[in-house]
Amino acid sequence: MNCPRLKDWLDERYDLTGVVRLAKGKLIPEHRYDFLYYTGGITLYLFIVQILTGMLMAFYYVPHIDFAHKSIIEIVTKLNMGWFFRSCHHWGAQLAIVFLFIHLFGTLLMKSYRKPREFVWVTGFILLGISIFFGLSGYLLLWDERAFAAVRVATGGAGAFPFIGWFIKGFLRGSMDVTGDTLIRFYAFHVAILPIITLGLIGLHVLLVQYHGMSVPLSLAGEKRREVPFFPNMLYKDLSLWLVITGILATLAVFLPPEIGVKADPLAPPPENVKPEWYFLFLMQTLKLFPGVILGMNGETIAIVVVTALILFFFLIPFLDKKSSRGEKSPLFTWIGVLYLVYFLAMTAVGFFS
Amino acid sequence: MKLDYSLVTRRTFLNTLFGGWLVAFFSGTVFAVMRFAFPTLGKEPDFVVLNRKDFLDLPNNSIKRFPWGGTVGFYFKKADGSILALKGVCSHMECNVDYKPAEKRFYCPCHQGWFDENGTNVAGPPPKPLEIFVISEEGEKLIIAKKGVKVELPKA
Repeated sequence: MNCPRLKDWLDERYDLTGVVRLAKGKLIPEHRYDFLYYTGGITLYLFIVQILTGMLMAFYYVPHIDFAHKSIIEIVTKLNMGWFFRSCHHWGAQLAIVFLFIHLFGTLLMKSYRKPREFVWVTGFILLGISIFFGLSGYLLLWDERAFAAVRVATGGAGAFPFIGWFIKGFLRGSMDVTGDTLIRFYAFHVAILPIITLGLIGLHVLLVQYHGMSVPLSLAGEKRREVPFFPNMLYKDLSLWLVITGILATLAVFLPPEIGVKADPLAPPPENVKPEWYFLFLMQTLKLFPGVILGMNGETIAIVVVTALILFFFLIPFLDKKSSRGEKSPLFTWIGVLYLVYFLAMTAVGFFS
Repeated sequence: MKLDYSLVTRRTFLNTLFGGWLVAFFSGTVFAVMRFAFPTLGKEPDFVVLNRKDFLDLPNNSIKRFPWGGTVGFYFKKADGSILALKGVCSHMECNVDYKPAEKRFYCPCHQGWFDENGTNVAGPPPKPLEIFVISEEGEKLIIAKKGVKVELPKA
């Protein structure tokens, strides 16, 4: 498409050639770890997919305890293409979490968080937390047995937090127990509160990445730099990858539609060997390691405090890793990163196969 | 009265005034929003009133469920025929427990916790026994109450 008059019309009003020059002038380093640069873009793309498919389902979903489960069954059985969009939304969420974790551990092990990019890490970390809450709140909207048990455990676990636990639990549940009030509340989180925070944070995250430019791993700092322009080289590679991801997503959505469990019943016990979503398995396994009572204290509270402390340490790594912020090699934090990664993978696997 | 000098400059005064106004405004707003977002939680019931007839022909070694607030209570006839009422919610992470007649034990599927016939935690992560309720009868009514609660039925 080439419309010189339109181009001129716009150019007289906005400095378009300036934008193109800026995009062409933006350089991306090329090296053997540069595939990690694409993981953020893929996550961004999957977020866009989630927003679009979510908007579509919001036309038909009914956030009420009596109709929620039924309305999802109607979306997948009666509505044109409903099964496909619901399936895409499910698999899009799964892939988004997968790529978020790859992006996170890539950033961690390459130490891209180091000075001056601490706030990129901070915004990304908050986005990860929000994404997991997206997963939990979205899952409850199904209102099936498994979601009901998972949300009871997750919000109950938050309730074991010392001093402010009761407040968090009450705030999340909207009542004493997981009830219809919780469903509406999670719906509000899922479709209104979390999306708007996410959009703002993604904007900030991307803006900060533009401001700082791409980080080059410390181990390659001495090597001669090869650089390619963002436009068109990087952008076209990004777009091709997004196309591949779309293919994977559509394939998964068509061949592996997610199941819908039996409608939640507050009187019934959860199904045998009930498990949360895979990204909660490492937490579940960790909680299982703690006995009910430790030295006369509530084991659950101790478990929650320990887990929170470990996550807080993870969050603060950019501020604790002084060596890499000075531009020196920091093997201690490489090992800490590997330890976190191995623990996460191992516990997820144990949870998955047990 | 005019002072020769003042401890507070005009700027400090105005900054304090505006700063105070901002703090007051935002803390008021946050307070109001939190009050609205944090609901009046209600509370767990002190007792529930059930129909005695519904529970008469319960076979030995089985349970019958009844709603207890937003959760579940068990009316439990042990293998020896004695009766117990307890809250069917695991003391670990609040999952509903299930009764396994073959093992004569209560089981929580979420984290594999076990409780014996009397609701005592015997295996797995649960830190405490299941909560035991007090059963009383009044005519056709079966009243199940928390321990230590005085039941006052509304006068019909």
